Amino acid sequence: MSTRDEILDNLRKNVRETYDMPDLGFKKRIFEDPVKAFIETTTTTAGAKLMEIKPNDDINEKIHEAYPDAKIISSNVPGIKADRNPDTVAEAQDLDGTDVGVIMGGVACAENGCIWIEQTMKEKAICFISECLIVIVSKKNIVSNMHEAYEHIQFNEKYNFGTFISGPSKTADIEQSLVYGAQAARGLTVFLTE
Amino acid sequence: MSTKHTIAAEKFLQNSEKVTRHDQTFWSVRVKRDAQSQELPEWEELREAASQIKKHTITHLAEYLEKFEKNATKNGAIVHWAKDADEYNEIVMDILHKHQVKKVVKSKSMLTEECHLNDHLIKHGIDVVETDLGERILQMMHLAPSHIVMPAIHITREQVGRCFEDYKISPEVGNYDPTYLTRCARYHLRDNFMTADCGMTGGNFGIAETGDIVVCTNEGNADMSTSIPKLHIVSMGLEKLIPDYKAMGVFHRLLARCGTGQSTTVYTSHFRGPRPGGEMHIILVDNGRSKILGNEEHWQTLKCMRCGACMNTCPVYRRTGGYSYTYFIPGPIGINLGMLKDPDENYHNLPACSLCCSCDNVCPAKVDLSSQIYRWRQGLDGMGHADPMKKFMSKGMQVLFESPGLYTTALKFAPIANHLPKFITEIKLNGWAQGREMPVFAKQSFHELWKKGKVKA
Ligand code: SF4
Ligand code: SF4
Repeated sequence: MSTRDEILDNLRKNVRETYDMPDLGFKKRIFEDPVKAFIETTTTTAGAKLMEIKPNDDINEKIHEAYPDAKIISSNVPGIKADRNPDTVAEAQDLDGTDVGVIMGGVACAENGCIWIEQTMKEKAICFISECLIVIVSKKNIVSNMHEAYEHIQFNEKYNFGTFISGPSKTADIEQSLVYGAQAARGLTVFLTE
Repeated sequence: MSTKHTIAAEKFLQNSEKVTRHDQTFWSVRVKRDAQSQELPEWEELREAASQIKKHTITHLAEYLEKFEKNATKNGAIVHWAKDADEYNEIVMDILHKHQVKKVVKSKSMLTEECHLNDHLIKHGIDVVETDLGERILQMMHLAPSHIVMPAIHITREQVGRCFEDYKISPEVGNYDPTYLTRCARYHLRDNFMTADCGMTGGNFGIAETGDIVVCTNEGNADMSTSIPKLHIVSMGLEKLIPDYKAMGVFHRLLARCGTGQSTTVYTSHFRGPRPGGEMHIILVDNGRSKILGNEEHWQTLKCMRCGACMNTCPVYRRTGGYSYTYFIPGPIGINLGMLKDPDENYHNLPACSLCCSCDNVCPAKVDLSSQIYRWRQGLDGMGHADPMKKFMSKGMQVLFESPGLYTTALKFAPIANHLPKFITEIKLNGWAQGREMPVFAKQSFHELWKKGKVKA
């Protein structure tokens, strides 16, 4: 018998009593104003910055305003003036040295600042390797809690990857002192659009 | 009788400054967890849901594993099965050989610790680099984790600084600032990410319905490990499976809140298949789990999602440290998992519990940790490790708790213990009393005060 069948066999043999899946219909906390709650969470506990972008704003100017010292910008978002493109670099390594990566966010969650990032680029490294990250989020996509967020996440079948990101990379591994930028982005700014 | 735990604990307790820091560190995490739980009106419903979802999944695990395998395979991943640590280590080595891998970057995984994977890889000439900052510090210092979520929290900044100096990754000798040291580690690990041939991760959850592997980190190291190398190997214990996204919503809301007192980890990554032009392997590891399922008294340990909350709250863990336990997972859940793995080696940890039940109250999956420890103690004589004194005490406690009348009487008379000569209350005859003074009982018991109306609700 293969290991697989042996394991499955043991699991079937060793169950004595079975249990049903519970009803998950209990009441969950929702916010009266999820957008307001998202802004609050993002800029406090998540440790990110947030800029509201108006329909007539020039997004490239806003990027400059957010990170005036950035030399290398990477993005595949249409309309962004980028020095490197995660779709066209030969290797993920080529994105190292990116000062600011600009990516699109999907559903965003007010209770914890999580923003769903669906991989829509060849090298997802842009989401992690960039020194700082700008994530563009539409107010229309903000929900209250993770139950709702999980109903809305999308996957691009070509890339089969997605991640919730809430603020910059953090660690408290040295004597519990909170430090931003252990491995991935050191800073994160949400561009909140209508 | 002393056990290995009491002896090691005694040593740990000699450095009172260290004990206090350790105690306060973990207590502060417990406090943060409480604040998070109080923010959600549905907290208890979430815990109950988590417990029931786990019970359901574990008792239908064969079907869910088949479903997961089917979906993961459809997504382009390659699924392997390992019955024990040896088979697991061989599967990993096979994959690495096939791809001529020289360097592996690893994100934290207790399963690889359980299977001693690193030793195996190093023996075969593979360069293994742990990428979680805490794990990397421990790896450099040749130490084991002392906690499952905050593995290196017992190390001081000076120790980290000196270690980084030895490894030539901290150029500023004598700079022990955590931000500076974290920055040094960032550059050091970047170099390793750039040159690794394979990224290895654990899996916090496997989702049967979609074939996703979900990995939660704060540092983003699992993502760095899998964004640059083309080869990704996931190692996951069978019990990490959950049915679907509805269940994932429940667990997501509990995991970080319980573990570190955050409302989420920074990254919650869903791996649903290989990178373009890459390979993704998922190794499903049994290593005793299917046998635990058949253990009537202890099968619910399989509900554990390794959040660490039971350690943070445990008064014994907080004051004796992770290294005092004989099993690599310490604290309440570690006492139980150790007994399931190897009772002859790990019964030493059974005294490390005052049956305060705090662990039961914080566990997001409602694992009945203290009752399980109690049951192990009751079963000790069957294993030839029972100490008559312990048996007597446990039996006594059982009689007390099971008869409310006697319990009230006992409480009333408890103040008498205050007047007993110290040599009796501090009796050193047995492992239970060592390092523990008798509690000082209030002159009037809570019950009495309550009845006399002295306690205002
Ligand atoms: S019941 Fe025992 S193991 Fe659990 S928290 Fe209390 S002392 Fe620790
Ligand atoms: S037993 Fe419960 S509290 Fe302890 S690590 Fe597991 S899930 Fe967390």
